[in-house]
Amino acid sequence: MRATASLFRRELAAYFTSPIGYVAMFAFLVLTGLQFNLALSLLTERGPLGVEYPMQVLLGGSEIAGPAQTAGVLFWGLFPAVTGIITMRLLAEERGAGTLEMLLTAPIRDWQVVFAKFAACFAFYVILWLPTLAYLPILLDLHADWHPAFTPFSIMLIAGLGFALLGLIALVLGGNGWFATLLILLGAIAAGVGGYLHSTNDAEKLVELTSGIDPYPALTSYIGVILAGAMFLALGLFVSSLVKSQLVAWMLSLLLGLLFVLPSLLRWWFDSGSTEYQWVYFLSVPEHFRRDFTRGIIDSRPLVLYVTVTLFCLFLTARSLVARRLR
Amino acid sequence: MIAVEHLTKYYGEYPAVRDVSFRVDKGQVVGFLGPNGAGKSTTMRILAGYLTASTGKATIDGKDVFWDPIEARRRIGYMPESCPLYADMRVDEYLWFRGGLKGLSRSARKQRIGYVLERCWVNDVRRQPIGTLSKGYRQRVGLADALLADPPVLILDEPTAGLDPTQIRETRLLLRELGRQHTMRLSTHILSEVEMTCDSVIIIYQGKVVEDGSLTAVRQRHNNQSLEDIFVRLTGQEGI
Repeated sequence: MRATASLFRRELAAYFTSPIGYVAMFAFLVLTGLQFNLALSLLTERGPLGVEYPMQVLLGGSEIAGPAQTAGVLFWGLFPAVTGIITMRLLAEERGAGTLEMLLTAPIRDWQVVFAKFAACFAFYVILWLPTLAYLPILLDLHADWHPAFTPFSIMLIAGLGFALLGLIALVLGGNGWFATLLILLGAIAAGVGGYLHSTNDAEKLVELTSGIDPYPALTSYIGVILAGAMFLALGLFVSSLVKSQLVAWMLSLLLGLLFVLPSLLRWWFDSGSTEYQWVYFLSVPEHFRRDFTRGIIDSRPLVLYVTVTLFCLFLTARSLVARRLR
Repeated sequence: MIAVEHLTKYYGEYPAVRDVSFRVDKGQVVGFLGPNGAGKSTTMRILAGYLTASTGKATIDGKDVFWDPIEARRRIGYMPESCPLYADMRVDEYLWFRGGLKGLSRSARKQRIGYVLERCWVNDVRRQPIGTLSKGYRQRVGLADALLADPPVLILDEPTAGLDPTQIRETRLLLRELGRQHTMRLSTHILSEVEMTCDSVIIIYQGKVVEDGSLTAVRQRHNNQSLEDIFVRLTGQEGI
């Protein structure tokens, strides 16, 4: 456990001490930023040409021919490139530099190595998506009404948030790690309990959120994005365990990732009720987002695909480490 | 401490190590000699758990390196040839990470890192990124890492390769001191080093053990020749 945690921390920190992490972040924010810009212009357009599902423009293209459709194709074409940048260094770098020998002779099991590396790149991927939460208030047309409703519960919520913030600042400034973590934990618990009681018991709320557009598609979109990302990352990790050069790892993971993207281009050839389309749908991630996740639907078929491919690739990665020993 | 029985390793069709058997007792310092490509590194990698033997058995302190790899690796401090390290980490960060990997608690890590930094003379570069260090310092960081979990067995693959004479001398001194506390097995090309630091030698040639015994016993067996003459004779390079 300690070994896994230690490796996880190193791998995650390595993203922030090397230029690669920032390159991935930059590319990704430019990509989503352009999508957001497009969604914004469609949302503010006059007349019947607007947009029904803003999350769809952000993530999946559109049914109607136009800039949103093109942008969707581009976004998913570049998506495996971004996840490839994240995963390419994980094992290929260690193989190239020879440090894999140090890692594999430490008292840590192969599957722990694979798990720690995957968890680190996955955590970085989630961090990559965090800034995009800033788009949501606009995409969902959120309004917040503030009321000075100071009841015991709401005060508990505010105090809890305050303590958690204090702990966070202490942690960043390098104070006593344990104390700061405890403060954050207690603050979060107090805020959670206070917030729950406040929302269920008090008549007048501190803040009332109303969204002009259905908010649940945003939730399902993020669930989809997290799981689909896990699949692409696991593919990249497996490829990275096979080669010594990071560049080759990146290109191969892009290629493998496109296997789950390009079939979506075939949808124009098939009727959406046909058997062929069922196959196309099963393998093409953009279609999952265009049809389901961004419209607030969670279909079990893509979820099964993501989870099985992820687990299978992690299994193969662990086996490829074993195969290195047997060489 | 180290027991190897009938170890064989094939790379495809090519047998790099053929039926090697030897024992190293507790507290001994053993020099592992052989020309390039004789199977030194392969044997060491098998012991360290990086490679798996094709047939045969190797145990460290009674723990089989194949069946009980984690426990066996806990008992080994391994320093590979050319000593690869993460160039973008600082020395103390690296040791902190390795300490965690080896399962040391936070307080134990703090204490052990302080000890090995002093012991291996790397305290003055503790905040430097490893990529900026000279070869000699890197080698010492590798040694510090091997010592980190205070393992009973040290396996060092050419610890003095690529160092300048002063550094070789310092490293040799360090190895001598370490030999008092640890069972140690080091491979090298420098024969005088073996004579100065080791209790016994194992000479390997074309994947087979050709000589094994304490320094004096080996010399006696070969009519008190110098180690260099013995080495050259056994590895079949007399003509050169």
